[in-house]
Amino acid sequence: MDRRRFLQTASAFTVSAAVAGCLGSAGSDDEPSNSQTQSSGVPSIVENRPDGIYIPSHIEGMKMSGTAEQGDYAFGLMYSYAHRFWNVNGDSTTLTEIEDDDAIHLMANVWDPETGTVLPDTGLSVEIYQDDSLVSQETIYPMLSQPMGFHYGANFGLSGDGAYTVRLNVGAMTTRRTGSFQDRFSEPTTADIPFEYSEQERNEISFERFDTEAGTNGAVDPREMEMMPDSRAPSESTLPGRVIGTGMSNDAQFVVTVIESPPAGIDGDGQYIAVSSRTRYNQMVIPAMGIEGTLLRGDETVYDGEFTRTLDPELNYHYGAVVDSVESGDELTLQVTTQPQTARHEGYETAFGGLMGGMNDVTLAVE
Amino acid sequence: MDSFDGNPSRRQILKTAVAIGGASALSACLNNGGSEPIPSGDPAAKPPRQHAWREYIRHDKYDNSQLPKHQILLYVNFDEEGRPSPETRSTLEESLTVLDRGYEWSNEGLLHTIAYSASYFERFDQSLPEQVTLPQPRALSPFESPTFDTQDAVLHLASDRADVVLEAEQALRGERDTANGESVEAQLTDVATIDSRRTGFVGAGLPAERQDAEGIPDSNPVPEDSPLFMGFEAGFKGNQATEDYVTIEEGPFSGGTTMALSNLRQRLDDWYEEQSFDERVMEMFSPGHAENDLVEGIGSNLEDNSGIDEFVDNIEADAETHGRVGHAQKAARANRDAEGNVKLLRRHFESTDDIGSDQSVASLHFPSLQRRVSDFEEVRRAMNGTDLTQVTPAIRQRVNNGILEYIFVRRRGYFLIPPRRHRSVPMPQPESSS
Repeated sequence: MDRRRFLQTASAFTVSAAVAGCLGSAGSDDEPSNSQTQSSGVPSIVENRPDGIYIPSHIEGMKMSGTAEQGDYAFGLMYSYAHRFWNVNGDSTTLTEIEDDDAIHLMANVWDPETGTVLPDTGLSVEIYQDDSLVSQETIYPMLSQPMGFHYGANFGLSGDGAYTVRLNVGAMTTRRTGSFQDRFSEPTTADIPFEYSEQERNEISFERFDTEAGTNGAVDPREMEMMPDSRAPSESTLPGRVIGTGMSNDAQFVVTVIESPPAGIDGDGQYIAVSSRTRYNQMVIPAMGIEGTLLRGDETVYDGEFTRTLDPELNYHYGAVVDSVESGDELTLQVTTQPQTARHEGYETAFGGLMGGMNDVTLAVE
Repeated sequence: MDSFDGNPSRRQILKTAVAIGGASALSACLNNGGSEPIPSGDPAAKPPRQHAWREYIRHDKYDNSQLPKHQILLYVNFDEEGRPSPETRSTLEESLTVLDRGYEWSNEGLLHTIAYSASYFERFDQSLPEQVTLPQPRALSPFESPTFDTQDAVLHLASDRADVVLEAEQALRGERDTANGESVEAQLTDVATIDSRRTGFVGAGLPAERQDAEGIPDSNPVPEDSPLFMGFEAGFKGNQATEDYVTIEEGPFSGGTTMALSNLRQRLDDWYEEQSFDERVMEMFSPGHAENDLVEGIGSNLEDNSGIDEFVDNIEADAETHGRVGHAQKAARANRDAEGNVKLLRRHFESTDDIGSDQSVASLHFPSLQRRVSDFEEVRRAMNGTDLTQVTPAIRQRVNNGILEYIFVRRRGYFLIPPRRHRSVPMPQPESSS
């Protein structure tokens, strides 16, 4: 299916999801015909899913609970219906079903309040309190969803309607950081966000079925969020350096740029190859992959080794390597050694390795 | 022997008695009948090291130490400002001597230690001797922000008998006139105020009985024979430092040791419900332990050694191949000296304390004894596995990285356990003339 046509038919989704929280880009009183709450039941997983990003059977809206800023970090807290999702550990991708006592899917976004850069690839744990009583505490997982892109999330049980406090604990980043990020995000921080919950309000969150489009290649539109940045990767035209090519591996798009010298904080002389990986369609950063690459110049191997996970204020999250030089006629081959270690919401579970495995190598001829 | 185990109503009382404490908890224990007499003690017969426990407790058939089942930690601050007076010293010494007289130094009687923090020693102008390094506690991982226990001292009471630890505590608080028949001539609370009371338990059956605590899934997954909530034995003889090894050898505190004492909240839903047994073995021990089927059930078949040393060198390969690394495997990297001796003597026990609230939440009190606190810090840092998160993104800050996903450090304190001769409000240089 043509993506543009899909977006037209599904545009109502964006609006109704938006009005569910305080982060809408626009409001509308017109309920789309396919909007409903979850009471009618969760549709089953699409049969004959393609091996790649696809339109899921349904998608849920979400509500914003609040934001907080603490130290080097800004936090946003959202929730929706409990979801099924797929957990990724190494090569394995396994379905996590909704459990009977799960009340919500809790989502947290962590970003740099100065640049708006979303911080993937760190550790986040959540404590939920009601008065002073511990309701739950979990290490939550990094996740990719079509409307939100990268976030941290998990299903939680609650003890009924009422006022809760959600404490978000972020770990110091261990990902290599460059430029003005070198000495930032190096301490763990904690932020409390009040969370008012009522089952009735939750049940008012929009719930969209995609009966005809479900299972076709494509993605639902990213949700516009006014109160916080999303994890969109820099566009080709805004990436620093000279873009030498793009490639696709199981719907993970690699945009490869070369800058004249490594960003501050990386040792080595020569040019720097940065691989910016993003989801096909929505261009959301895909973090936490293992990538190796080989740069060939005729028979000569210019570089053969790891592309290191790195966070840079201009390049954003990327995979980088220092090489002597990149010249016209060179051939760069990128190999994914570990699929992205992020859980997947529906529609992403077969892509980027995922349930069906296999991320093909990407080879670029440098012009 | 613990004579409570066969009797369901006594077991029910015991389940909460030590955690609740106080006179009514003690009398509930005493009134439920069947207790053997408690062996009384002789102050002259106590070993010179306060931390000499191993010879005086039970061992399993592989000679692994079986720690006393019931334990209480009393964190105290002395009421006096500045240098403690001779009166404080004699009162404290007498209150501890009451326990020495009342109870045999054994698991059937009472083991007890008192240990002092760096904050305590700041009362003095002198510094500690060079043989003792006792820093203030600090965060040791990039993802923890514990509250630090900087109280002056911590008193540790341990016995296989709940009535013994409860009665000893009551004696220290002056809430009883006698301790196992011995007259209570002086009490700890005459010179110190209890800032925090923490309790716990360890040994087959006790965690399973208490798995209704928050943090453990409702499916009752803790095996009946497991000494700990996570379902495996720990502290095998071959993986523990000896008491000799952790003992300070020279200087005025020779015969003492240092103790790092942490409290960790446990969240075992995903440990038990998301992970298979093999995955738990991988994360607790090493992927090699799972691959080679080395662990049966709670791991008693490992006998007196987890065999972890064989799986230390291939940890990076394990990370790449299995996408998981083991807790023991990571820690062991820093827990051996050049000769291969184990550096830490771990004496952890379980708890349902949720420090700061009355809620019953699964947690772990983790006393680790070592000659130098820096030994503990190095092992803890090795356990973070931060280096392994660089090897493969499958190993994350807390996920697939040993057991870090399930444990949350809430408290940490560092203490000096002086030798018995200096156990009562020691000066930093107790044997010098000043």
